[in-house]
Amino acid sequence: MLRRLTQISVQQLVRKKSTAACSSKDKWDLFAGVLVERLPVVSKTLNPLEQQFQAMLSHVEYEKSLKSDFELKNERDLVQTELIKQGKMQVDLDDTVAKQTAQDLKDAYTEELKKFQLAPRTTADDANNKATSTDRCLEDILYLVVKQKLGSQQHLVLPQGQREQGESMRQTAERVLREQCGNEIQVVFYGNAPVGFHKYKYPIKERTQSVGAKVFFYRASLRSGNVVVKRSETSGTYEWLPKEALNQKLNTAYAESINKFLI
Amino acid sequence: MSLLNALSRLSLQSSPVATRFLHISPVLCAEPLKKKKKLDPQVVKQREDRRKKKIEKQIRRLEKNARQLKPVEELEVPLDLIDNKAKRERKLTPLGTAELEQRALLKKEWARYKHDEKVADFQIIDRLVQSQNKALEELRRESEELYQAAIEVDMKLLPVSVKGPVATPPIKNYVSPDGDYVHQAMKWE
Repeated sequence: MLRRLTQISVQQLVRKKSTAACSSKDKWDLFAGVLVERLPVVSKTLNPLEQQFQAMLSHVEYEKSLKSDFELKNERDLVQTELIKQGKMQVDLDDTVAKQTAQDLKDAYTEELKKFQLAPRTTADDANNKATSTDRCLEDILYLVVKQKLGSQQHLVLPQGQREQGESMRQTAERVLREQCGNEIQVVFYGNAPVGFHKYKYPIKERTQSVGAKVFFYRASLRSGNVVVKRSETSGTYEWLPKEALNQKLNTAYAESINKFLI
Repeated sequence: MSLLNALSRLSLQSSPVATRFLHISPVLCAEPLKKKKKLDPQVVKQREDRRKKKIEKQIRRLEKNARQLKPVEELEVPLDLIDNKAKRERKLTPLGTAELEQRALLKKEWARYKHDEKVADFQIIDRLVQSQNKALEELRRESEELYQAAIEVDMKLLPVSVKGPVATPPIKNYVSPDGDYVHQAMKWE
């Protein structure tokens, strides 16, 4: 056991040294990216099996239940009307006017319930396919992507920016989000550790100082607000996309890195 | 010369006069002691006894109540429900074998489905952990300092509040109607 441990530690030491030697050769720019997710607002629609099972459970529950006071009252009322019809019981006119049967109450309750309108599970933004709204695809997690100028071209990516001297990666991530998306958006960052990683190399002409960029992604969940776009910037478009749409719109290599830490 | 002598004599004479008329009050740093009241030892004993009895009484009351637990009303079935249980039972026709068989099959299918779901969940968790480890490893390669900053515990995350998904989204600007509130809080000594 001890020998095994020492072996492992030696291996790790060797690995660390070798990587240190590697990193000294070429310099990489450090970037922080932010994965902002809008968590689902409504629960998932049940699939056929789930619906079947739910129906069975509710039936079992009905079978095991005992009759409520209301049901007993209803039965009593039914018996009474039957008796009155047969003429075995005398009807007290004053009493019947004041008395409400259980059935009457039930009808009144259902009438009241019908008046109440539940909010629909799909919104107007769903119908309009308005990708900039967070008030759509309520069942799914929505991820924020922005159009950013990387090199000479514009790309659709998670908001990212380069690290400045003296910052930790988490601080960079927070600053980047504020710079890219304005102050209105309120998020909660999940911890100080990055959740994902992506690296890409610059075109050969531009590899003067560093070879490429290493992006460290931080996960954050949206609490309130939305992106505020600065009009002066040309790269100001953003979208909230569910996972499937995200994979279609992103660059394949980038999407592959992102997919590793999407739920 | 004689005048000078006379003057000096005058000054000599005047000095005791001055001291007699200028008074300096002495500084008092303390107060004269008050005379201590002498208490009857019988009274003192009585007082102490009374205090002791009071405390003992309180202790006794606490001990008595310690064994009496506050009843949880919801856990006790009302007596009238127990009495007319037979009246409340539903008279349903027993399920046929076909129905029972179908239910058993559905339960089995459900177990398989939940198992697959759980496995998928574990796979997602594994993937996320792997991704995070990779990111941390890469960060350590770049700079040990940044890595140490990244593995610090974020105390701001607690306490966390999460609103779970609901069946239908909340209605915007909904004013909930006022109902009747019946305040029923029993007092337990």
